[in-house]
Amino acid sequence: MIETKSLSKYYGDLAAVTDLNLTIQDGDIFGFIGPNGAGKTTTMRVLVTLLEPTRGKAFINGLDVTKKGKQVRRLVGYMPDFMGVYDDLKVFEYLEFFAAAFGIDRRKRKSIVDGVLELTDLQSKRSAAVDSLSRGMQQRLGLARVLIHDPKVLILDEPASGLDPRARIEIRELLRELKRMGKTIMISSHILSELEEICDHIGIIEHGQLVFSGTLEEIHPRLGIQSKVRVKVADNQDKAVELLSALPQIGEVQVTAGHIVVTFRDLPLAGDNDGTCARRQPTDTGIIARTLVNGDIDVVSLQPEQLKLDEAFLKLTKGIVH
Amino acid sequence: MTALFIGFFPKVLSPARLTGPIFGKELRVSSRRRRNYALRFCYIALLTIFVVLVWAQEVKYRGAGIVQVSRMGSAAKTIVVTIALFQFCATQLAAIVMLSTSISDEIYNRTLGLLMTTPIASFQIVIGKLCSKLLQIILLLAISLPLLAIVRVLGGVPWSYVIYSLCMTLSAVIFAGSISLFFSIFSRRAYVVIIVTLLTLGVLFALLPFLAAISLYRYVSEDRFFAQLFYLNPYLEFLNTSSTMFGGGRGGVSLFSWLPHCGIMLAASACVLFTSVRLVRKAALRQAAGQLPLLARLWHPSEQNSAESDAEVRSPAVIRRVTGPPVIWKELISPMYRRHRLAVMTVIGIEVILILATLLFPPIMQIFGYEEASVLYVWLFFGLAMLFNIILPATCITFEKESRSWPLLLATTLSDWQILLGKFVGVLRRCGPMWLLMLAYIVAFCCAGLIHPLAILHIVIVAAGIVLFLSGTGLYFSSRLKGTTSAVIMNFTLPAVTWGVMPLILVTTVAIIGRAPNSLRYCFDAVPFTQAFVIMTNTAVRVGELDSYDWFDRRLSPVASTYLLLAFMLGYMLVGLLFAWRAKCRFRRDVF
Repeated sequence: MIETKSLSKYYGDLAAVTDLNLTIQDGDIFGFIGPNGAGKTTTMRVLVTLLEPTRGKAFINGLDVTKKGKQVRRLVGYMPDFMGVYDDLKVFEYLEFFAAAFGIDRRKRKSIVDGVLELTDLQSKRSAAVDSLSRGMQQRLGLARVLIHDPKVLILDEPASGLDPRARIEIRELLRELKRMGKTIMISSHILSELEEICDHIGIIEHGQLVFSGTLEEIHPRLGIQSKVRVKVADNQDKAVELLSALPQIGEVQVTAGHIVVTFRDLPLAGDNDGTCARRQPTDTGIIARTLVNGDIDVVSLQPEQLKLDEAFLKLTKGIVH
Repeated sequence: MTALFIGFFPKVLSPARLTGPIFGKELRVSSRRRRNYALRFCYIALLTIFVVLVWAQEVKYRGAGIVQVSRMGSAAKTIVVTIALFQFCATQLAAIVMLSTSISDEIYNRTLGLLMTTPIASFQIVIGKLCSKLLQIILLLAISLPLLAIVRVLGGVPWSYVIYSLCMTLSAVIFAGSISLFFSIFSRRAYVVIIVTLLTLGVLFALLPFLAAISLYRYVSEDRFFAQLFYLNPYLEFLNTSSTMFGGGRGGVSLFSWLPHCGIMLAASACVLFTSVRLVRKAALRQAAGQLPLLARLWHPSEQNSAESDAEVRSPAVIRRVTGPPVIWKELISPMYRRHRLAVMTVIGIEVILILATLLFPPIMQIFGYEEASVLYVWLFFGLAMLFNIILPATCITFEKESRSWPLLLATTLSDWQILLGKFVGVLRRCGPMWLLMLAYIVAFCCAGLIHPLAILHIVIVAAGIVLFLSGTGLYFSSRLKGTTSAVIMNFTLPAVTWGVMPLILVTTVAIIGRAPNSLRYCFDAVPFTQAFVIMTNTAVRVGELDSYDWFDRRLSPVASTYLLLAFMLGYMLVGLLFAWRAKCRFRRDVF
């Protein structure tokens, strides 16, 4: 649905985006992460035809954004990282104005506007002045505006920035609802835990270059982090260590603070040498449980250690990339 | 005790204490702004052009050596007076421009409240701002000092006049700057501050003396009236003394003639500054406390409401449905003059007062004669309508850029032509009433049989060309530039140069070469004020008495004049459309 090929954008000598290759599948929620000034917003602006790339191509649903601007705009709903308001319009008027701007027939506009107001839970504010809305309400209105022409693709730049926790949760639920409706969503955010919960894929960008693109599960091997499982046994800890160390899948077994930390060995996959996801390890807790039970050891708990997105982000964007 | 007393005054009056760290900070910031360098360049370029033109005019006569030498004194006097007049006008304008954002920048960058959390006093903020800009103005004045000194060697110019001109200029600059600084507390838009300041100076030094003159002319003798007025009006005083110099006055300028005037101007400036200090403190404290800006309700009613953050109690829920092209719809439902309703009402009020003055004070007609009064009013209406037509198109896109709604509009499927057309309709809607006021004036006087009806047609032709021209240039600058103030200033500069500076240079050039080529006369005729002047002076006759139009150096029949005006109109329209097309091409460049 969204594809960029060697996309570059320069502002004078400053490279905002360099050779960006990105593919987002139909119906996916793609989280776009990067530090400030990494090139996220620039990429999004190119995709919504507001900036022309210096080099490379970008496509939405197979349409070149530089050549088929109007058709692309019909397909895309863009929510910038700021809320542009017309201070002399009311909420309903604001949405109907954009409905008209997208060429929606006058007879259908009212029902469409009412529909998006309901979806974004803004019915009570339909006759409120746009500039009188709170930040959270304005973000909702921005989403409502984005949905007004029923676009297939939503490009949302920091939709949750500046919102309180309740509003963030509401926005997150709304995005889930939109995913269920079949929209392809590209979303940038600094609140990584938000993305972690809703995104199918993520892309991490730094200094205008994509340093990672894939699913969250694929980040582990990319970072060279072996999967670990913390095991607590009722007794016979030494025997348990001995049994687990003998397993071929296990690379290392350590005892720390009453727990046994089991590190799996890397298992290279055939043909998986594209540099993005070179190695994978199965975190098979079952084999640990079976081995310990067969060894007549009582298992109290088995807990796989999970890598957090913000941890991965910090490692990837600080040069700790192998 | 004595030592304490002696140390007190230098300590209190030391520059560092008067201005605080604001002075240094302002100088540092100014040195990094390109516009200040551009301002200095323009100042020097214009000064050079004027001096060269005056010099060329003075030395064009050939003759014996002794004649040439005797003319040097006269040439020196003309050059010095020209430089002094130029400095007097240009430095005041520079001061108004420089100080137009002095306080508003602090208010809208939210640094004024921060300053209040430091030991800096509001007095230091105001004086620091004023002094830093004054220093730059003094630098501008200093640029021409060597030239004045050299020219003085040629003779004919007393030192007292040079000192007089510098002191008069400085006192006028301080006053104009203080007014600009004062208004910058209330508006963030530099162009609004500049226009309001110019209007205030116009009211103080032109309208009020004019009204006083027509009210008091029966009771006070002309000499006595003007003698008093010279103390209060720097422009009249300076023009009077300078024209005396031009007229061959040999003596110096008496201290008593200008020292009281400078004192009065400085005292008036001190009052304005004192009020500014009080208001700045209030504004800063309000900002620090998170309250609304001063006079928010008066100047920005919608901001007042937004701060209440309660949409439901704000206005009745009347929702207007979108009909027709959306941009046109939005432009048509927007408030007529957005947040400047007060300024617009003031302007219209002044116009009404002037018309009433014409009707209620027959002496005006006796002073000017009917023809001149007619021309004066049409010029006035013309100028005001043009002012609106300069400002409004230049703001229509930059406002959207500043409110960040421009990218949203561009991200829709609307074509650039649709957006352009919508914006143009909005400009017409807002500027229309000002042009209609002028037309109403002419129609009313046509109905009374005082002006020939052909004036209506001709004024409409002139106005149509100007409207399209200024709208096109305004849309272009609004699309090209990011800031509203830059766009307005550019859209103001273009006609000012085209219709003001260029004709002035041409006039001087013509005077130097002695005769005007045929092509040159069309340059003068193309100026809208010239056209309005010709139309009004020639049509101030009864129906049946109009046989020809006097175009200064030739007479044309009304039909030929109509063709000429139509040709100019088409020319202006063509240029306007060209600019509008370029504006459309720029829509999607530098969106952010």
